[in-house]
Amino acid sequence: MSNILTIAKREIKRLRSRFRGGSRLVVVLILAGAFVISYLVFQQGAVLSKGMYRVGMSPDGPGIHDSRFRTITVDRSTGYSMLDERAIDVYVDGDEVASRNNARSLYAAGALKQYLEKQELTRIKDEYEIDTAFPLRVEVNYIGNVTATQGIALSELADALTGTSLEPTETDPGATEAAQAMPESDTTAAVREQIRELESGNRLPEIEMEFTSDKEIIVPSLMSPPVPFAQVIIAFLYVLPVSFVSVFFTSSFMDEKIDRRITVLMSAPLTPLQIIVGKMLPYVSFSLASVVIMTLVLGGNLLLAVAIFIPVILFIFSIYLMVPLVYRTFKDTTFISMLAITVITSYLVFPAMFSGVNDLSLMSPLTLAVKMYRGESFGLREYLFSTTPMYFIFALSMYIGTRILNEEYLMGFRPLHRKVAEAIYLTIVRSRLYLSITLLSLFLIPIVYMIQLVTLAISLNLPMRYAVGGLLVVAVVVEEVAKSAGIAVLLENGVIRATKDILVLSFLSAVGFLIGEKLLLYVSLSVVSESMLSPALFSSGMLLIPLVAHFLSTALVCLLTGRFGIRYPFAVLAGSIVHALYNLYVLGVIP
Amino acid sequence: MSTFYVMVRKELRSVTKEKTIMIAIMIQLFIASFSSVILIGLMSFYDPDSIAWNANISIKVGVIGDADSPLVWFLRDRNVRVTPFPSPLDAESAFRAGMVDAVIFVPEDGRGVVDMKLFLPTSESRSTMILMVLKEPMKRYENYLREERGVHVRYSDIRGMPSTTYEFRYSVIIPILMFFPAFVAGSMVIDSISEELENRTLETLWSAPLSLNVIFGAKIAAGLVLAVGQCALWSMLLRFNRVPIRNLGLVLLFAAVIAAIIAVGSALIATYFKDRERSQFVYSLFILLSAGVSYLFDASPITLMIRLATGDYYTGIADIAVYGVLLLALLAAFLSVAKRLIAVPA
Repeated sequence: MSNILTIAKREIKRLRSRFRGGSRLVVVLILAGAFVISYLVFQQGAVLSKGMYRVGMSPDGPGIHDSRFRTITVDRSTGYSMLDERAIDVYVDGDEVASRNNARSLYAAGALKQYLEKQELTRIKDEYEIDTAFPLRVEVNYIGNVTATQGIALSELADALTGTSLEPTETDPGATEAAQAMPESDTTAAVREQIRELESGNRLPEIEMEFTSDKEIIVPSLMSPPVPFAQVIIAFLYVLPVSFVSVFFTSSFMDEKIDRRITVLMSAPLTPLQIIVGKMLPYVSFSLASVVIMTLVLGGNLLLAVAIFIPVILFIFSIYLMVPLVYRTFKDTTFISMLAITVITSYLVFPAMFSGVNDLSLMSPLTLAVKMYRGESFGLREYLFSTTPMYFIFALSMYIGTRILNEEYLMGFRPLHRKVAEAIYLTIVRSRLYLSITLLSLFLIPIVYMIQLVTLAISLNLPMRYAVGGLLVVAVVVEEVAKSAGIAVLLENGVIRATKDILVLSFLSAVGFLIGEKLLLYVSLSVVSESMLSPALFSSGMLLIPLVAHFLSTALVCLLTGRFGIRYPFAVLAGSIVHALYNLYVLGVIP
Repeated sequence: MSTFYVMVRKELRSVTKEKTIMIAIMIQLFIASFSSVILIGLMSFYDPDSIAWNANISIKVGVIGDADSPLVWFLRDRNVRVTPFPSPLDAESAFRAGMVDAVIFVPEDGRGVVDMKLFLPTSESRSTMILMVLKEPMKRYENYLREERGVHVRYSDIRGMPSTTYEFRYSVIIPILMFFPAFVAGSMVIDSISEELENRTLETLWSAPLSLNVIFGAKIAAGLVLAVGQCALWSMLLRFNRVPIRNLGLVLLFAAVIAAIIAVGSALIATYFKDRERSQFVYSLFILLSAGVSYLFDASPITLMIRLATGDYYTGIADIAVYGVLLLALLAAFLSVAKRLIAVPA
């Protein structure tokens, strides 16, 4: 422990020496500026398309206060001729809106319609009684499709309806006369609530309890989207400082390399784990502090926030730990860090946007943070589902880090794929080959999963037909690489030679991969839906056949490289073809 | 001039040889893809019309109660298939048999508040989808009821197209794709300069018959070439995805000017701090700061880019020229102080 603290202190000293004198002033000034600006942006709210449309307005037209529209007031004839000359996109003529017949003008009219409709609602609300202004309320009921208890469930709909012929509220029939004195009905209260949301809707940081009730009341014109944009942005703000701090963390290792001080450090009586933990400690503490401060400022639940963001911080640092270790030049580091930050951010932020729409959004812990700020509850199972992979990746990254933290590896300048191959080789424990290979393909599952997710996103740029095809190909190739990479580096380094070894290891790798794959599927399904699929997943047919398929393709790849000297990429290609044929067979494309 | 050209080529080779630039391109492709996923998946919630516009989702709705209500007509107008049911039980069994996706109870319009009831499946994603389709007809019905009660709603029948997609493409995706290469270029310039400074290779280069300005100029130019190349690539990809950029020449010119400003600025940062760690940190903070500032003001690079790309009538080369002047001033300042900055120890 004291060793770790020593390293941590050394790290802080290094950092402080970086920011002395003039440079400290510059940094402090810029930081202060960044805070002021973000505060101002925060205050102003999120309008993305500033000044996008030009709107001409007749003198009696409505006022427009939306930064998307630049307005000029002109009389009718000028307005219409400007519209024809394309000098303005739409012309608002009193209660009418004139547009041209081209895309830009129609989009502008669409945007204006959205805005003006909202203005109208505010006007109507102010001018009329609430029951006249909002005469339609829709009560939403959800009906489960439980087939087993059909006899009971069938009355659900009828039950919900029987109340309607009477008063919708639970008041006595005789109480209607006293209604003025009574509080408003359920639905009117819900309408008021929604009007309030509409009025505050334009501003960004609106953290409040959602209107919660067993029966959801909808007013069609006030219906707001379920997208938790504001909360997602807040969750994203938590991640931002962490990514900034990590720049120093990556630099720390590179510094040691450039000055060759790492040699000194390695010869000291310190374990690699102590070095890594020591170097990480100051930055992790800082990140944690920023989480605490942010939660206090925003008024969230401190304990919950810490529980949610600790795995996130560890996850981010585990990715950044890998960056300097495979680095060769400055430019590499920059680009790989950029890639890391993009992938991390999208992996965390993107699912959170779907919170409340799809349960798979729980993949990212930020969804939990969104739920927290929306006042929704979640259970331990949801917490484990979203955070366990993060802890896993952290453990894996720490382990790899300790294995490759040696001078020879760090100083070597080789192509990127060689660096990765070498890292895999160092990770494998030579005295426990079987276990290592099994665990390796098991642990690579989250990475495979992430790559496939990324491919899915990228493939959406292509037309649907190519996208599906491309996705299948990439998925198969990535899986084949993940299963065979460990064995391939062992073959390359001459650790194994015999065909029997290749086959046994291929089998173990297939087993490890299958376990991981099924585990992932099982966990997702158990959270996503209490489905009947879970037992089916583990029935013998669903286990044995894929196992054989995984084994065959992996063995093929390894034998081709190991025995027949075919270059690894081509071997992977051959294995992938076998794997793809199997997939197509399962999907029923090939009879 | 030829030494300058040789230097630029050397810089470019160092990026292309190790294929690091591919990573940068991948990042941007990735960002663009994720943005479009967000666009399709999320913006449609804000603007359900665009979903009904883009995809012809057909849903089937069972109606109990007033089957002659105008709502039924509004639903049919939106391509919703409506089946009237005489009793709740009939409707429910049809719902369970999967013959209808949702059931609506429409009470007779009795001049008071109309309390409609909507029955949806529990599956969150399906019911969200159904609600999205039903929203527009329900809104029309609401307006009809308002008119019946003497409330006139203006602007409810403006002819226009849902603008969310358009706004998102031109105000998010295009600025990201046109400015991100500039950000990458700045990062590259910092790496390139601070690497020379930290490895003490700059002295060697400098003592060769190369002036400091040629060395730095070449590094900045290399970053610029890559940035413009990427922007051109993105504009092609966008066109391929049927997102045309108006004033393409001006858009690329403006992207180049911004990339040059950022590259010169980052060279200034790198020569001041002389190590990668601090330079990159200050640089990224600075970029964040500028993005924030440009967000606050009307005359900002982002707004100008949006206006150029959407073909705004009043926007043209004169607006770009302002940034051109800024660039020249910055470049002049950098070239005059670079030598002195280098001489100062870190």
